[in-house]
Formats: sequence, structure tokens, C-alpha cells
Amino acid sequence: MERTEIAEKIKGILIKILKHENFEIKDELSATDVEGWDSLTHMLIITDIEELFGVKFKLKELNKLNNLGNLIDLIISKLA
Amino acid sequence: MNEYQLRPANENDIEFITEVIIAAEKGNTNLLGFSTLFNLSETEVRKAIESMLGEEIDFCEFSISSFYIVTYNNIPVAAFGGWIEAMPGEMPSKILKSNLLGYTLSKESIAFLKTKSDIIKDTLIEREEGCLQLEYLYVNYNHRGKGLPTLLINALIERAKTTNPLLKKVQVQTFRNNENAIKVYLKNGFKITQTALSHHPEIFNYLPHNEKILLEKNLIN
Repeated sequence: MERTEIAEKIKGILIKILKHENFEIKDELSATDVEGWDSLTHMLIITDIEELFGVKFKLKELNKLNNLGNLIDLIISKLA
Repeated sequence: MNEYQLRPANENDIEFITEVIIAAEKGNTNLLGFSTLFNLSETEVRKAIESMLGEEIDFCEFSISSFYIVTYNNIPVAAFGGWIEAMPGEMPSKILKSNLLGYTLSKESIAFLKTKSDIIKDTLIEREEGCLQLEYLYVNYNHRGKGLPTLLINALIERAKTTNPLLKKVQVQTFRNNENAIKVYLKNGFKITQTALSHHPEIFNYLPHNEKILLEKNLIN
């Protein structure tokens, strides 16, 4: 799966859970940049991503994710 | 105070800190948010909290390293957690906490929370980066009125100052109905600076109160 395709799918999840589109999909995007990305929505976002891509993240991996670029890299490595 | 001793918590205190978290979450009610929001029994919540504390992730409310404990004749009787929010190079605690919950709990529990998220979302208050965050104060009933919270608050502030001598502020959140805790914080120089209120009709079925308050103490005048 291409990076852009993964990014688009993540964008769909963010819109569904955060209920807005006030963010730009780019590698540098982080939770602190996005309105409504809090402890509650973070859990739902990660769970939906795992389900959509059929992957399971380790705690160590999750705690290293600084931005969207890292997340896409991790998904690609899991799908390889 | 000779019998009382203060020390940082360690991995041998996981059982006690789990009880601390559960008691503090309930406040002075019988309602445990982790049970109602994740559809878990109190036994299941206890197991999940023990498991999260066992992961030894620092800088959030489920970090064993965040807590100080007061013992009485070597038996833990009080505790309070504290960490500096989002230290350089560290994740915000809300992300660490969510990662721990998401990793530990079942898909069914997260799916259940999803159906309840609209009920509680208005009670969430953001933690300020660089501030000392205090969470989960507990004092055993038989040891109340001995000034143990002040001892714990001061110890947590002093420890945080050794990490960051320029630390400016301490923050603590609690539900509005937790009057004893609020009294303790006001007595220790905290002031109420923010409130978060939910008008959702079902809120009292899921949380101890519909209003969360933020109290702050400035450390630099």
C-alpha cells in the first residue's frame, strides 16, 4: 500500500472521530496540532487504525510515534 | 510524625497504588469511571491498572515512578502521583495514558467507550506542558487530619524542582464534589482556575460528578 493511500485512510478515521477537517495531512502532523485529539479520541483513533489496516501495535511502538510520518512508516513496516 | 515515612513508590507498591487510583477515581462516591466507561467489573479494572503500572511507562498517571508514598510503621497509608507534563523529548501524558489503556484493554471495552465518549468529552481539561501535574491523592481514613497530603505535595514539588529548577506551576484536577480534596488543595495555596461542565443527561451514570475543576499553584511570584 502506498504512503498516500495510507495517509488518506488515516485522514478518514480522523475526520470520523474528531468530527472536523481542520488539519492538514502531512508527515509532521502531531496530536498537539489537532483540535479535539485528546486522551479519549487518541484511543479511538489508534484502535480504528489497527482495525482498518489489520495490524496490532506494541506499546513501545506507540510511545515512539511523534507524528503522522512515524505512524505511516510503522504501518508500512507492519504490512510488509 | 516519627512513625510516618515518605518514599518514592516502586514496583513492589503496585497493589497499593492500584487501590489508591481506584479510591481517588471514585472520590467520595461509589462510581468508578473505569468500570462504567469500559464496561468492566472493579476486579477487571484492578487487574488492568496493575498491568499498566507494571509496564513502567514514566510521566503519566499510570506511572509507578510518578508516586510518592507515606508509610506508617512501614505500611503504606497515603500516596500522591506527580510528573512534569510533556518534558522535552517525551510524549504528552494524555497520549501515554491512552496508549496504555488501548494496549491493555480489550477491543470490546474500547468499543464500549466509543459509545459513551460524547457523554464525558466536555469534562476533559488539557494539562499544560512543562507544569507539574498531580493526580490520584489518597489518604487512608485512619490517617486523615495528620497533614499527609501537604507532606506529599511538598515532596512532589521538591522532586520536580530538582528536574526543572525553573518550574513555574503545579496543576491538579478533581471533580467538584470532592470537597475534602479541594479543601486540601486550597489550604496548600492552590486556586481554582478553570472548570469543565457536562450537561449530558447521563453524565451522573458514568462519572462521580458532571463538573471537573482545575486548580493551580504558582511557584514563582
